[in-house]
Order: sequence, then C-alpha cells, then structure tokens
Amino acid sequence: MKLQHNLGGLEGLDPITPEIEVFVEPWEKRIFGIHTAMMALSNHLDESIPDYDIEGVPTTFKSFWTWGHLRMGAEGMHPFEYFRLRYYEKWLGGISGFFVSEGYITQEELDARTAEFLEDSEKAEAPLPSGGEKAIDDQVVKYLREGDSPMRPLPAPPKFSLGERVRIKNVFPAAHSRLPGNLKGCVAEVVKVYEGAFTYFFPTADGIGVPMPVYSLAFKPEDLWDESLIEPQSIYYNDIFEVYIEAV
Amino acid sequence: MPSNYPGFRYGADRETFSAAKVKALESLLIEKGVITGDTVDTVLGYFETEMGPFNGARLVARAWVDPAFKELLVTDCNAACEAMDFPEGMSGAEGEHMRIAENTPEVHNVIVCTLCSCYPWPTLGLPPYWFKDPTFRARVVREPRVVLSEFGVELDESVTIKVWDSSAQIRWWVLPMRPPGTEGMSETELAALLTPEAMMGVATVSV
Repeated sequence: MKLQHNLGGLEGLDPITPEIEVFVEPWEKRIFGIHTAMMALSNHLDESIPDYDIEGVPTTFKSFWTWGHLRMGAEGMHPFEYFRLRYYEKWLGGISGFFVSEGYITQEELDARTAEFLEDSEKAEAPLPSGGEKAIDDQVVKYLREGDSPMRPLPAPPKFSLGERVRIKNVFPAAHSRLPGNLKGCVAEVVKVYEGAFTYFFPTADGIGVPMPVYSLAFKPEDLWDESLIEPQSIYYNDIFEVYIEAV
Repeated sequence: MPSNYPGFRYGADRETFSAAKVKALESLLIEKGVITGDTVDTVLGYFETEMGPFNGARLVARAWVDPAFKELLVTDCNAACEAMDFPEGMSGAEGEHMRIAENTPEVHNVIVCTLCSCYPWPTLGLPPYWFKDPTFRARVVREPRVVLSEFGVELDESVTIKVWDSSAQIRWWVLPMRPPGTEGMSETELAALLTPEAMMGVATVSV
C-alpha cells in the first residue's frame, strides 16, 4: 500500500499553510519548463487529436513522457521522502532520473556539472547555453495552444447510468493509479456520465490508459468516513474512470 | 499544535543545491539538443501572457453581467471560452475539458486534486503552493468547513459545501458569487476583484 495513494482523510495534520506563490524559489520555474517541454515533445503525440508532426520536430527527445510518468515517480518514492520533499523537488528528482535512465545524460555528468556550479559561483550565475532549433520551441507553443485531448470514441456503451448507485472496486493500484485509495469499497451516485470516452495515455496496471467512460460520482460523507469524523452539509465529488467502478 | 513541518521555505543549502542541479540539467539538455536555450523561457512567458488567472477573471466577470453567458459557462466551459475574444489556446494543454462549479447562497464549491495537482491551466494558469500541499489535499476532502475557515471563509451552517476532486481528465474551477456593492462596475473593474483563490473556492470576493 502506498501512502501517496491514500492521502484523503489523513488525520493529525497541521493547519493549512496558505502560500499563494506558484513557485517559491526561482529554480522551480526551470524544472516546470523542462517538464512542459517533455510533455510537448513526447513521442505519443503522433497519435494525438491535434495534428502534431512530432517525428519531424528536430529534438533529440524521442521518449514517451506524460503526467502518468511524472506521477508514477512521485508515487513510487519512499513515502517519508515524498512528504519531506517540496513539490518541485520531487519533479527535479524524477525528471533528472528519467533523463539518466533513458540515456540522454549520465548521472556522472549531471553530478559533475552540479558540483561545478556549487563550487564556482561565477559559473553558477553565467547564462545558459544559447541556440538550438527554433522548431522545437514552435512545437512547445503549439502543444500549449492545442493540448492533448484524451477524449476518444466510446468503445462500448457506458456500463452505468445517471442516478445509479455504484461502488468503487477494491483494485490493487500497483505503481501508479488514478483512484484515491480511501474511496475503495465506498458507494456513490452517478451524477454525470461524461460524453465520449477518455484515455489516460499511460497504461497502468490497474487498467486505465485505454479509452473508457468517466463518471462524475457524488459521495455522501457518511459513506466515506466514520460518523465521528464527518462534516455535515458537505458532498464530495470525483471524476472516476469506469474500470474502477462496479455495480452495487 | 503545529508540528515541525517546514512549510515551503527551506534552508539555503538545500535550495542552492537544487538550483545548481536544475541548471546542470537544463544546460546539458540544451547542449544535447533535447531543448533549446529558449525553451524554458518560452514556456514561462506563455504562462505570463496567454494562460493565467486573468482569463478566468474575465470569464467570471462576463458571467456576472450576462446571465446567458453564465448559463453557457456552467454548462460548457470550453464553449464559453470560445465565445470570448481570447487568443487561440483556451482548450489547450490542461484545459481540454474544463468544468466550473457555481457558488450560490446555498452552495459553496471548492476544488482539490487529492492525488496530485490537476488544474485548469487556460483559465487559472498554474496552481499555488497551498493547492499542491499534501496537507490541503488530505484535509479538504474530509473537513472542508474547517479548512475553509483556516483560509478565512466562514460559511453559515446551512450552506452545503461541495468538494470537487479531479482524479480523471476533467479540470475544475469555481464561479464565485458577485459581491454586493458592485452594481454599475464594468467587466474590467469586476475582473480586477478576482483572485485565483476565489476561483478555487477558498476565498470569497469583496470590494
């Protein structure tokens, strides 16, 4: 069981820290930009709905990279590390590890250059290398504008219908999941059957990644938590992939 | 009692190391032709000018003055974006399928992504740190009223709180209530009252 899949309802936590900044350190912007470029250059975009000539983009990046890849890294971490590290620290670890494991860079050259910047403040403050193929950046902007809609034709009619009571399956989430663990076994009402089917691009062991219906489900607090823990006058909604749902 | 949880501000050594490591990574990726020397700045510039909470604020302001537009916004958020004179891209990355939940005197909405940080980029830009914090994500799904009060939002007991979590591909945001005392304001003046927090449900709008 991964703690990262089971955050919902965790007790004993602190008051909220209402930090409204998107980035609390300038370096965080850089890793966000790198991740977004990887999303925009991912080899799976040759099958996307927008017409991307992804094979023709003059980047050396030829890998498959989606949110699923980034999230699987965070979900696979030692849980105490997950909570020790700030949001973009997790990204930095996962993304640099990916570039090493895919062979774009070696751990040795990354470590050596990091050490160089730490030892020599002039080098650390020097401008980044310039240049490169402009068509790479054109694809990045095109991706931001046109996106990567996961909507696909329905492979089969939705199994559940509006107003129906359903139960969340007790699936084993494996390395990556889009099912909050605290919902397993809970009963909910279908309040919307989304039009079409949705892929997740990234195939997970628990069954998402192929087109399937998605439902908006409404959970009553008494169906989620012990009576002693619930707040009256509240409803929890979540959009759930069909593979996680069964009939009551 | 707060624990010794560090919040989001860590020691200088830790930040210096991360800054050096990300610069090492970016410079290597540029040298190896993965990205260009301008790629990261291009992405960041896009979020300053094209995708950001300034878009959401304009949509909400229009909805406050135009009931037919509000109906369109709550039934088909992406179509409402199309109806504005926004530049191309409002159904782009992380905004392909957006929905907005309308606050009323009886219902208050708040968004969360328990599993990570799903967020409607075209209308709200990038999520603030509190939204990405495991503490918020863990707590708001069970005790939204307590969490909202920590943000300074005190709701009457009669108000139903709806929490919208995003574990699939739909990106959620909130249509706040128009505050009293804004009669006669222009859409531009109304849009200036809006904050990302109001459009996420952890703040109300006031003049």
